[in-house]
Amino acid sequence: MGFNQLDPLLHSQLRLAVMSLLISVEAADFVYIKEQTESTAGNLSVQLDKLSTAGYIEITKQFEGKKPKTTCKVTQKGVDAFDTYVKEIQQYLKP
Amino acid sequence: MRKLFEMEEKELTPQESMALIQSMIGRSRKRYSDNSFFFLLWGWIVLVASVGHYYLSTFTDFEYPFIGWSMTIVGGVISGVVGARRGKTSQVKNYTDKMYGWLWFSLGMAMFTIVFNGQLINWNTVPFILLLAGVGTAVSGAMMGFRPLQFGGFVFWALAFVAFRQPENYQMLLLAFGIAVGYLVPGYIMKANFRNNGV
Repeated sequence: MGFNQLDPLLHSQLRLAVMSLLISVEAADFVYIKEQTESTAGNLSVQLDKLSTAGYIEITKQFEGKKPKTTCKVTQKGVDAFDTYVKEIQQYLKP
Repeated sequence: MRKLFEMEEKELTPQESMALIQSMIGRSRKRYSDNSFFFLLWGWIVLVASVGHYYLSTFTDFEYPFIGWSMTIVGGVISGVVGARRGKTSQVKNYTDKMYGWLWFSLGMAMFTIVFNGQLINWNTVPFILLLAGVGTAVSGAMMGFRPLQFGGFVFWALAFVAFRQPENYQMLLLAFGIAVGYLVPGYIMKANFRNNGV
């Protein structure tokens, strides 16, 4: 199996960072993810959309007063994909 | 500050992938939230109510020595409102915070049930309250990795042993002592920790 066969959705810096962050919490706010991954809003939006389209995360948009609040949550499909990705990476790292 | 992910998307090596996963998981894992507010609120309510109960029933002829316990209703409302507001405004929902909320909600229900039916057990409620408070503090302490609370749990447990063998009056003093050691002292330490180093 070649290295390039890894899940292309996860094998990208920002998307992998987002998934790693979401995997250990129940849900996280857009602002929190942006701060923790040190990304820009524009880039993060694009990557979140890709993950959401793939069904790896669930995005909920609400209004808190007048401020929009975007919450992200990893789905079971996302957890499975992340598990598979980690197992494959571990295969490569085996001496 | 350098934007970590604004650099050109380059191919990740397996080592880089693993390091990235570990660092992100590490960021979201925090030791505990500052819950000192709740420990201090309930610590003071119970301390005042129990000492008042002891004083009024021992040294006065006042008909309702348990009057101070009505403050628990106010405490319940304040806890509910503050808890809900914190949950709404927090940017991240941790499983720990959720478990923590359910633990204390369940214990609160159990305590309410015991006190509400107190007459049926001759108002021998304090030993049971001490045991439940002990479960809450010990488990919260373990979840947060915060030893003063775990120690408080053991103090509650030991006091419950004694309280089963004492009349209601003295039970109130044991409860006051337990709440000071199990809620107030850890609560103030927690508050100071957060103020000093934000952990």
